[in-house]
Amino acid sequence: MTQDENKEGVGGMINPRRYGIERVAYWLMRLSGLGLLAYFIGHIYETSNILRGQVGWTELLEMTSTPFFHIILSIVIAMCVFHTVNGIRVMLGHGGIGVGKPSRPDYPYDPASQNYRHKIGIYSAIVLAAVAMMYGLAVLFGE
Amino acid sequence: MRESTIMKIHYGTALAAVALVAVHILMRLTMNFAESLEYETVLANYKFIPYALMLELILILLSVHGFNGLRVILLELKQGRTYEKAVSYGCLAAMVGLIAYGSRTIIMVNMGMV
Repeated sequence: MTQDENKEGVGGMINPRRYGIERVAYWLMRLSGLGLLAYFIGHIYETSNILRGQVGWTELLEMTSTPFFHIILSIVIAMCVFHTVNGIRVMLGHGGIGVGKPSRPDYPYDPASQNYRHKIGIYSAIVLAAVAMMYGLAVLFGE
Repeated sequence: MRESTIMKIHYGTALAAVALVAVHILMRLTMNFAESLEYETVLANYKFIPYALMLELILILLSVHGFNGLRVILLELKQGRTYEKAVSYGCLAAMVGLIAYGSRTIIMVNMGMV
């Protein structure tokens, strides 16, 4: 097999079925980051409507106070919590916390940094995001 | 700027933003959520200078963090001298544009220009 035939490109990079939960966390981190950036830009534009006075602001609130926007906001809450908790895990890992001691690489070459501590961190981020989303739904639909 | 310095800024802005956004969200929950979004309440928030300063700080922190994150994602997908420069300067321009647009709202409302 030549090098070109073996090259999977972006398709290989985005494949979430390999490398375990760490690859899933890698993708969720990027997707949640992009989602939050899109929301942030939208939020800045949305809040600028206050410059249109009370009528403009009320029109905007009427437009966004729908079940569709409430669900979008709940997803944003989940993305925010996951991005924060997983981001703290990544920062700790970059600082050498929870990655284990350096040792001689022996077969089957399990990466020391991909240990149970970081796996717990990833699963915790997913669970906390789900709980926060439920809370968000309760607040938004419980008005 | 060195990438290691940029990553330190990325992590620093993230931690600071988490703390300030928590305060921003808690302010919405000090009263009924719908009530906290009423025109008079939002106007009063903007006119309260410490809160307006916090909003400006959140705007800067999240813009820097968000657009640097976008830059990192785009640089992971493709590399090349021209591409990297275009992505870096494009993200910088978008960041400055968003900060300017958001600051305009905060300053105008705070100064009563509504």
